[in-house]
Amino acid sequence: MNKKAKVVALMLCLLLSVEITLAITTNLSMELWDRYTMVRQAGKTQKSAFSLERGYLRLEPTFTDKIKGRFNLDFFASDKYNDGAGIKLKYAYVEFNDIVPIPLSRFSFGMDKTYFGTVYDWTYVTIEKALEDKEKVISSADYGINFTGYIPKGYGEYAISVINGEGYSKAASKVNINPAPVVNLRLIPIPGVSLGGSVLYEKAGFIDTIKTAYDKRMAYTGVARFAFGPLDAWFEYLAQTNGVTTRGEYKETKSQGFMIMPVLRFIRPLDLVLRYDKWDPNSGTANDGWSTLIGGFNWNILFDGQGTPTLFVQTNWQRTMYDDSNKKPLDQIMVQLRWTFGNNLID
Amino acid sequence: MKKSLNAIVKVSVLVGLVLMSSSALFGAKNSVTMGGSTTVLPVAQKAAETFMDMHNEINVSVRGGGSGVGIASLIAGSVDIGNSSRAIKDKELKAAREKGKNPVGNTVALDGIAIVVNPKNSLTELDIVTLKNIYTGKVSNWKALGGPDQTIVVVSRDVASGTYEVFGEKVLKGSKVREDALMLASNKAVATTVAETPGAIGYVGLGFLSEGVKALKIEGVMPSEKTVRDGEYKLARPLYMYTNGAPKGIVKEFIDFILSPDGQKLVKETGYVPLVE
Repeated sequence: MNKKAKVVALMLCLLLSVEITLAITTNLSMELWDRYTMVRQAGKTQKSAFSLERGYLRLEPTFTDKIKGRFNLDFFASDKYNDGAGIKLKYAYVEFNDIVPIPLSRFSFGMDKTYFGTVYDWTYVTIEKALEDKEKVISSADYGINFTGYIPKGYGEYAISVINGEGYSKAASKVNINPAPVVNLRLIPIPGVSLGGSVLYEKAGFIDTIKTAYDKRMAYTGVARFAFGPLDAWFEYLAQTNGVTTRGEYKETKSQGFMIMPVLRFIRPLDLVLRYDKWDPNSGTANDGWSTLIGGFNWNILFDGQGTPTLFVQTNWQRTMYDDSNKKPLDQIMVQLRWTFGNNLID
Repeated sequence: MKKSLNAIVKVSVLVGLVLMSSSALFGAKNSVTMGGSTTVLPVAQKAAETFMDMHNEINVSVRGGGSGVGIASLIAGSVDIGNSSRAIKDKELKAAREKGKNPVGNTVALDGIAIVVNPKNSLTELDIVTLKNIYTGKVSNWKALGGPDQTIVVVSRDVASGTYEVFGEKVLKGSKVREDALMLASNKAVATTVAETPGAIGYVGLGFLSEGVKALKIEGVMPSEKTVRDGEYKLARPLYMYTNGAPKGIVKEFIDFILSPDGQKLVKETGYVPLVE
């Protein structure tokens, strides 16, 4: 870890101490993802390595019944730094619940989840990320403000956000001046059936006329989930259009794809998971897309008092197949041990 | 795209085959698991013991954890019954419905949140405003209420507790419990702490009243079977056993037993209020 990162980590620790002191209770937890990955393509092994992919340190202070916070640091193995490990900020927000005259509402300020598609409630049933995160359409967290809430009687949820749009790993000069409004709606008309969608729209010139990498960006998704008995099946359609003016000519590029993911839970410790993704990065160009087939299982070894797995092994085989017939399929085998521990610190 | 469709068809066929073969994994069930509210716990334990005596082939396991834990466990599918001393929240209902669960609240008893002090305390009654002032720290010495010059030790339940939620709704009304309050994990812990601490005040379900603590009148009304049932006691509430959909099979048999005259007799024996006189 470089010197700058160490100074940042120290300052964050001091901030955390203040946060804990102010809160009634603070939940302290860690979640670690230890992974083995083997990558093979065209009969050759390209990677065979153990790593720590995530090391989340979470602090969730409760200031009052209505005001809570969340602070999350991610410690991970990386070849970008001399010491082989990196640290990054994942969540840092305060939320205010039921403070406006709309019941069941929540307002958050800071770096929160991105309330779009499936990425905000993605629990990594597969080791692979949610489609929009994997194809770099939307990041799983971003800086901004979020107004979220529940529809009474459990009929769903909604979110209206204004975020940077570049994701949690981009800051300062890497963030353009255009804010990105996001709207998300998820309806649950009957138990087991969820239908929803989200839209993100970013336009240059909204605040100033400074040129950005694009004139217009729009991402949208439709989501369906069916959970009946042992079957929990997810479906998502995702599309993004980028509009760019080059030498006076405005041109739009459209990317689109979908995901199907059935999960089967016959016995409590075992989840069987299948997933198929299809992605076309430019619908105007032929043979530039790919598809991914994932099969695997999660073996849940330990559970907390609420029945949530706290120690489990995920095993995934993943094959990426390219539309370009000259490109050989890429196979990945990943075995991951995820473990979580935590406790409440009462002030 | 043709390749994609082929892969989808293959995946669908595989899912279908596994689903069809799954019926063999679901045999007849002869156990009931439940967890959650520590207020409901005495009723659940007593009913479970009696029910198992009546049905030797059935095993009923009961654990605590708090109402929030009970409902979360029902949603996670780790229990058949989630015990709760508060109604399910919309947030929990949403989480349940999206996972294909349909929580149904079966009211099994009535309770009053009893405000308790150490038996040495001369105080006999409080109004809700004063009670709120004690819990928020505006009143911090018994002298202000005509008692001895003694600091009030505020004992509360932790935030996972349904009793805490109902107390917050009916007494605190959105205000924050004073920062030095003892936040305890069970009714029993609150009752024990109040019994052992002369300046303490706490709140517990009626089933946890004993000679070790003294219950106070609230707004001039003592919590009792009559005042809880007719709603005269302001801190009355129903106690629930949540199930996924209407109870079925042996879960139904168990709930039916609690609702039967024999079961309601057990409710009364544990100190709670039966649904009917």
